[in-house]
Amino acid sequence: MIAILLIPLITSLFCWLLRKDRYIGYVSLAGSLVLAGFAASLIISSVSSSVEAINGTLYMDALSGYIMAMVVFLGLASALYSIGYLEQELHAGLTDVTAIRRYYALLHLFIFTMLLVTVSNNLALMWIAIEATTIVSAVLIGLGFRKRELAIEAAWKYIILCTVGIIFALMGTFITYYASTAVVGTDGVLNWTSLRNIADKLNPATMKLAFVFILVGYGTKAGLAPVHNWLPDAHSQAPSPISALLSGILLNTAFYGIVRFMSIVSPSTGAAFTGNLLIAFGVISILISSIFILVQDNYKRLLAYSSIEHMGIISLGAGLGGFAGLYGALLHVMNHALSKPLMFFASGKIQGAYGSTRIENVRGVLTSMPLLGTITFIGALSLAGAPPFNIFISEFTVIKAGVDRGLWPVVAIFLVCMVIVFYGILAGFGKMLFNSHQQSAVGANGRSPLQESRVPRILAYATMIIMAALIIVLGVRIPDAIENVINACIQIIGVNNYQMSP
Amino acid sequence: MQNWIEAFYVIDFISVGILLTAVSMNAVSRLETCVKVYTLNSLLLSLLIAIVATIIGEAHLYAASIITMLGKGILIPLFLWKIVKQMKVTHEVEPYISNTLSLSISGILVAVVYASLKEGIFVTGFAKNVFQISLAVILIGLFIMISRRKAITQIIGLLFMENGLFLAGFSLTFGMPMVIELGVLFDMLMGVIILGFFAVQIRKAFRSSDLDKLTVLKG
Repeated sequence: MIAILLIPLITSLFCWLLRKDRYIGYVSLAGSLVLAGFAASLIISSVSSSVEAINGTLYMDALSGYIMAMVVFLGLASALYSIGYLEQELHAGLTDVTAIRRYYALLHLFIFTMLLVTVSNNLALMWIAIEATTIVSAVLIGLGFRKRELAIEAAWKYIILCTVGIIFALMGTFITYYASTAVVGTDGVLNWTSLRNIADKLNPATMKLAFVFILVGYGTKAGLAPVHNWLPDAHSQAPSPISALLSGILLNTAFYGIVRFMSIVSPSTGAAFTGNLLIAFGVISILISSIFILVQDNYKRLLAYSSIEHMGIISLGAGLGGFAGLYGALLHVMNHALSKPLMFFASGKIQGAYGSTRIENVRGVLTSMPLLGTITFIGALSLAGAPPFNIFISEFTVIKAGVDRGLWPVVAIFLVCMVIVFYGILAGFGKMLFNSHQQSAVGANGRSPLQESRVPRILAYATMIIMAALIIVLGVRIPDAIENVINACIQIIGVNNYQMSP
Repeated sequence: MQNWIEAFYVIDFISVGILLTAVSMNAVSRLETCVKVYTLNSLLLSLLIAIVATIIGEAHLYAASIITMLGKGILIPLFLWKIVKQMKVTHEVEPYISNTLSLSISGILVAVVYASLKEGIFVTGFAKNVFQISLAVILIGLFIMISRRKAITQIIGLLFMENGLFLAGFSLTFGMPMVIELGVLFDMLMGVIILGFFAVQIRKAFRSSDLDKLTVLKG
């Protein structure tokens, strides 16, 4: 497990020290491949039995493994995509070699901090890791290849809002520690595994307070609605591969923190308390984001609001609880982690070709770039929740959980919002994909599209095609392996039985 | 020594000092003074930890006190000082609301905290006032962040929140394990450095260190 953490650090160092700009991308790719190789065996072994390291400070079970698999996979995908992306930015004169070295070094540092979140057993260490993700990714956003001022503005908002939010999460962690001192004596415990063993003995009133702080704190980072304001700015201004990581996995690591806390808070306060809070946050997120999706005229911001919507669905599923709710939420985590990065990758290519992120400036992608257009179309349909694609399955499962519990108002709001989102996303991307090509692929800035050399181009497209293929496959059938992992995760979180619904 | 501390209510005095330094942020009109007030606040926090350490005789609290002093009392203020010096143009705080109003609001915040925690669900042994004071400091920090327009004052507000949080954590549990305190401090230090870096960038890109200019991204 230590090796897993060291590999990204070493890769980061190499990328920083390397002087030849041509090779940095491939060094980072090699680092990601090695990481994937090492992580695969660890993740597989963590599903059947938990793994510990350094006196139990680091700990991995199926839930950690599940999230870690996504971090590693998306890290690899981003490394593959970044090569071409940065080459293109370099050609366009938007960046220089120093910035590229900085970018790759920070990218791997970012992956390191997210891996640390997934393996930390100590809840305060988890907090430190989540705060570290904020700091590292803020710098990545601030690199801002295209519009420097906007990128700085986005990064400033991001780091201020998330740090304030996360200070509340630290407060929640302190309170949890305090609650544990009442049970185990003066030296409290902070390890998740120890806290879970004494979870039902913790003082319910104290734990309620702790959970509210945690939810507000990590909820800010996870992009849940009333505290989501940083998200659209950060996601739209970051370089595309970073947007993909932010949206696909960073939000999930923050939500992972909430889920870990939920499983130790629920036994003392009762599952209804944590569940209802998560449902409330989820519904508000879905409502607010669906309205903004409808009126959005910038496709990267549209994707960012769609992230808020999907985090809302995950939160709703986790809050509804029961087997179906948790299953839907966990499945949705993976589905969203596939579809959204794919869309950010594709939108990076579109932005490169048309030089604009406004929907009205992009026309006829399907005719001018058929392959990219098809991939974007698949991604958009998936995000909108159209049937043969993966997200439909998990959204449907979440609805089933709502119906099982008989929460009809929630189900109704959810369904209405899904319709709005369906229209909003397909209308937005439909305009970009179809329509006549009054404006050809040569963008407003006059440079011809896709000035990348062959290998990076093939790598980037291969990544996107594989992700699109996974989206379709997962929409038809969920492999047994993934099914087993999700079942193991549900065992870890603990199924809340709502059979005695009010 | 212990009798002496208890006889003169030293803990209460220092924690009230922490509260007063936070409140006085509302009346400060120059950025340099803001940094000085923050330094004083951090040093008082470190002193409080040291004094509690002598009362309960815990070795790791002495270490925590020294780390707080070095990190928050010396390193961060020095860094902030450097940033303030780089901001050449104007060193005025320029709040959105007048100092009088701002002070009154802080007073109300303190009163609200005391009223709502009157029952003292968190009463711990050494000082039940400390937790209330820490919450008040967190709220005042938040208030400073939203009512000032300079980038630097936002950073300082954040740091005040963080000091309040440390005080809260300390009053609840006599501090976290050493490694955790170090990790949190390291994160905070990195955060402040990055924020300082961005503050300078804002100054360069917008030709102003006012955050009013950051209004392009919305909706």
